[in-house]
Amino acid sequence: MTEVIPTKQMPPGLQVENVDDRIMTLNVGPQHPGSGHMRIIVKIDGDYIVSADPDPGYVHRGEEKMAESRNYITNIPHLERPVIHDSCNILYPYVLGVEELVGIEVPERAKYVRVIAAELNRCIYIQYWLAIYGIFLGHSTMFMWPAGDRELLIDLMEKITGARVTHAYFIPGGVRNDVPSNFEDVCLRQVNYFEKRIKEYADIFYDNPILKARTEDTGVLSREDAIRLGTTGSVLRASGVDYDLRIKEPYDVYDELDVHTNVLKAGDSYARSKVPWLDMLESCNIIRQALEKMPKSGSVRTKLKPNPKGGEGEVYRRVESGRGSAGCHIISKSKPEPYRLKLSVSSFRNLIALPYLLKGEKLGNMPAVYWSLNYWPVEADR
Amino acid sequence: MGTATGIIKALNSGIKHLAVKRFTLRYPEQKLKFVGDGYQFDPASGVAIAGLKGRHMLFHDHCTGCQLCSIACEGVAEAIAMVKVPDTWGHNKKAIMPQIDYGKCVFCGLCVDACPFYALYMSNDYELSSFTKEGLIYTPAQLQVKPQVQQDSELIIDKRGARHG
Repeated sequence: MTEVIPTKQMPPGLQVENVDDRIMTLNVGPQHPGSGHMRIIVKIDGDYIVSADPDPGYVHRGEEKMAESRNYITNIPHLERPVIHDSCNILYPYVLGVEELVGIEVPERAKYVRVIAAELNRCIYIQYWLAIYGIFLGHSTMFMWPAGDRELLIDLMEKITGARVTHAYFIPGGVRNDVPSNFEDVCLRQVNYFEKRIKEYADIFYDNPILKARTEDTGVLSREDAIRLGTTGSVLRASGVDYDLRIKEPYDVYDELDVHTNVLKAGDSYARSKVPWLDMLESCNIIRQALEKMPKSGSVRTKLKPNPKGGEGEVYRRVESGRGSAGCHIISKSKPEPYRLKLSVSSFRNLIALPYLLKGEKLGNMPAVYWSLNYWPVEADR
Repeated sequence: MGTATGIIKALNSGIKHLAVKRFTLRYPEQKLKFVGDGYQFDPASGVAIAGLKGRHMLFHDHCTGCQLCSIACEGVAEAIAMVKVPDTWGHNKKAIMPQIDYGKCVFCGLCVDACPFYALYMSNDYELSSFTKEGLIYTPAQLQVKPQVQQDSELIIDKRGARHG
């Protein structure tokens, strides 16, 4: 192993490493297509990983600091930027928090529209993630199919919000516009077809022996470790912990809907890649239920002053996003701007597990383990 | 399930798709149809009307030069600047109207939400690319023009899969 030699002659900040002949240090990223905008410093002994050190922070944009100088409404386009493919879900906790601070009620219909938009967005995110997981494993069909089927839902989101990504759709007090006329029929038709399509992924991807040989028993995260390291979302559920915020802390109308969690016990890369897929099937169920129970007419937005002031106090709300729990902590001092805003994102929490999972793995399995953590570099850096 | 059966099933799943119609939208020839004429906002009810958030449409006969759109954009993208217009209107004493820089605009539509006079909408035009940075800046006169869009392709779902036609 390498060891750092402290030397008095060296200027501060410079260190000399005693390098072992057997160990090679490899920088995966930040420009490597297999790492995203982050670097993993991997030390390898032959083909086996001795240690891995994730180095995020290349796409830090200071969203939290920026939020302090913008009012509660103009923050909306900024705070969805960390995950543009899942922009409704990353904005959800902020909107719920501001509603609590300002003290406004949301109309019933808006709550259902929000749930539909959030579930559609979850599917869009997972499809994108799955497409990249497929290409990481050299399965180019699994890149093409999710990337294509994702268009069905992007098309729906475009009909509702007017934008393909970065919708800026949720607003304190409801949603910005009502769904277009005959949306229910169009949505049901496209979601049903989408569900039929994603069920076809089982044969080509999830039941494929080649994928199983590649991902089963790689990067095993035990139930105890998953809890101890503080992972959330699909990573936690793939390790056998039944935890979903849509059930544990229902927000909006999730308590009126029949939501099931998908829990797998194995805790390996295969289970972590399968849980999001099962989540998508569950999302289709939720969308169908919400469309059925949604009030057919009514307001979708409580009118709010153009520059609303939050009361004195602080609030922390969290929701289940496509990756795991997404939280937002806002401190308000009776001003139009938040005094302090903190995003608590699942990507950063799941990344903590990476060094433990990669130790002792083969280098070739690194993409399979890394991307199975449902990690989004921009979200982790914020 | 044995390895051989699994691989054959996976291959078979791919082969079955030879009969499925192509889903790709052939973009410059085909363009997807959108709901309505673009994103609009009704200040009376406080709720917007669903539509594509594309290039803005400015109605000169409604704009009073109140700068609310520019103020709304200040915290978002700073894309809107108020500029002098040559013609004078009775309701627009200062003769200033928004000029939008599409190099900065993020198409969030908060400027449309801010307009209390039904003067600023968004249209279905999303093809705004230009060879120069100056070409991205749309003056009030350019924003006034109603875009000519040929968007008629729709998503068709039937037994042979989804396609655009």
